[in-house]
Amino acid sequence: MSILIDRTVRVLVQGITGAEGTFWTKHMMGIGTRVVAGVTPGKGGQTVEGIPVFHTLRQALREHPADASLLFVPPRLTKDAVFEALDEGIQKIVTVADGIPLHESVQIRRAARSSNARLIGGNTSGVISPGKAMMGMFPYWIERVYKPGTIGVLTRSGSLTNEITAMIVQGGFGVSTLVGVGGDAVPGTRFSELLPDFQNDSETQALVIIGELGGTMEEEVADAMEARIFTKPVVAFLGGRTAPEGKRMGHAGAIVTGGKGSVAGKIAALERAGALVARRPSALGPLLQEALEKGMK
Amino acid sequence: MKLYEYQAKEIFAREGIRIPRGKLSRTPEEVVETSSSLGYPVMLKSQVLEGGRGKAGLIRCAGSPEEAQRVAEELFQSKHKVKQILVEQAIDIRQEFYLAFTVESLEAKALLLASSEGGMEIEEIASRMPEKIQRVLIDLDKGFMPFHARTVLYEWGIGGELGKQVSGVLEALWRVFRKMDAELVEINPLFVTTEGEVIAGDGKFSIDDNSMFRHREYEPGPDYFETSTAYAAYKEGIPYLQFDGEISLMCAGAGLTTTVYDLIHDEGGTVANYLEFGGPNYRKAMRAMELCLQNKPRVVLIVSFGTIARADVMAEGIAEAASKLKPDCPIITCIRGTGEEKAQEILRNAGLAPLFDTEEAVRQAVACCKGGTA
Repeated sequence: MSILIDRTVRVLVQGITGAEGTFWTKHMMGIGTRVVAGVTPGKGGQTVEGIPVFHTLRQALREHPADASLLFVPPRLTKDAVFEALDEGIQKIVTVADGIPLHESVQIRRAARSSNARLIGGNTSGVISPGKAMMGMFPYWIERVYKPGTIGVLTRSGSLTNEITAMIVQGGFGVSTLVGVGGDAVPGTRFSELLPDFQNDSETQALVIIGELGGTMEEEVADAMEARIFTKPVVAFLGGRTAPEGKRMGHAGAIVTGGKGSVAGKIAALERAGALVARRPSALGPLLQEALEKGMK
Repeated sequence: MKLYEYQAKEIFAREGIRIPRGKLSRTPEEVVETSSSLGYPVMLKSQVLEGGRGKAGLIRCAGSPEEAQRVAEELFQSKHKVKQILVEQAIDIRQEFYLAFTVESLEAKALLLASSEGGMEIEEIASRMPEKIQRVLIDLDKGFMPFHARTVLYEWGIGGELGKQVSGVLEALWRVFRKMDAELVEINPLFVTTEGEVIAGDGKFSIDDNSMFRHREYEPGPDYFETSTAYAAYKEGIPYLQFDGEISLMCAGAGLTTTVYDLIHDEGGTVANYLEFGGPNYRKAMRAMELCLQNKPRVVLIVSFGTIARADVMAEGIAEAASKLKPDCPIITCIRGTGEEKAQEILRNAGLAPLFDTEEAVRQAVACCKGGTA
């Protein structure tokens, strides 16, 4: 069992005919993902890597039932494409677009929630279960970075993710499922909303959280641990410990978060909840070992 | 993209929110001229983007031409790089409110924050007496409705003419928030004058960066940036942050870069700048290195672990840039990800001794600054 994606999930690719769409469709199939159809308005009738392309989701789904859609659609067109997928009943959507307008990302999360759909992104590399399948862009062929294993990963960052997964592998472990929720201010799905999946996933023994300064997603994970919603061992790594405080703007941010959001605050909350927090990438492997041993007791 | 107070107020006024009479001035002489035409006393408000201007002494009152001249000179010469002063009529106030719209990422709605006790201490009030702040969530698809305003006004216990005016401001501010793709609009304080008029005393405004393509008229000019290098990077579409330390960072990805920044700090080093070498910029090594070298760093540190940003393409660009620009400081590279074997070979052939471990790369960079060699 893995989370969100495995070899049985039938995947549509919206924006399949673009350079990135085509390149990563090939690699998604290379790892074993079941890509069934592509959609690009105006390009119906073509094929990409042997996959048939349709003008609309409705046309694609008529011939190729699908469970999930991956969007390689430019940020300004993402809202339209997401709403098309939701209206056609797709329940799992991953959108990699970096640069979705803020108010549209709010509407996208809202719409996904009203449809009870799972929307991951934007501004993410996507979701991967190494050795099985992926929706998104991961250099899975580099084994020292994406080795199958028992560690779940939740991340907000792209570049830092490769760095940290390499450390997981260097520590003697591998990854069960990695979900990149994305770096936007309003991600479609938050860390804490994925914790029940990792809790129930028999392949995941421990969870690595890759966080950053800003927002409250790491604090929400700590809350879920305290509430025993998530009980597996957690190791976290957070970028931005020493970042100079950004030039502040207005008071609303401070009022909304009530002082949360600093990396120091996040580390304190996670440690209070029982997580181990790595201060440098190379500390991650040993801390995972320690967390798993503690978890056994 | 943050806007200056005067820009925020222009936008407010366009939507029908009243603002104090005033004018933007660029020299002490202009300040005096404007002040005298407005009539004393006047407020001299430094147009800088950082918050806490009142507490930093960047908002001052002047009661005479001599005082206006003296205060303006002080402000223009302060360390805050004040280039423009908004001169406004001083207002007799009876009450100060707080209003803001922002987004709430958990509920995925807009959030109105409102308090009948606005002013400089609003954060203090929010943390000590949260019940003094009204919070109203608004669905973006449904929009702002009259009941949203009533919800606030009945908590404040105001009605009549004053209530009508505040409702009007709320509706106008909502229109501004939506139209301008704001991540934040804030009026603090919203004045009630002794004559009972409602006037925006200040304006904080931030347009969502991802929506700037719809608001090109607010594209920032050179004055907006701390250095000409920062402005040049902006013009190239390269994310860039200016610091004043010794190590120039040409890294890919915000997450990895903040981590490198932390590690440098831990080792006792300092950062000159952060230049984003990832995303669409990974083919721009020449320009990127040129900008980094403008800071005259002790060392340029290049770290990446790319997926789309191919390591071999980056390496080729770096090798070319290093041979053409002939930097007089060491270049330390740690480039991994898609195409990494080829990248290592390219860098070795260019005599750049590639590294493969982020922490080791940081140690070597900091050692360079302390007089060691890479």
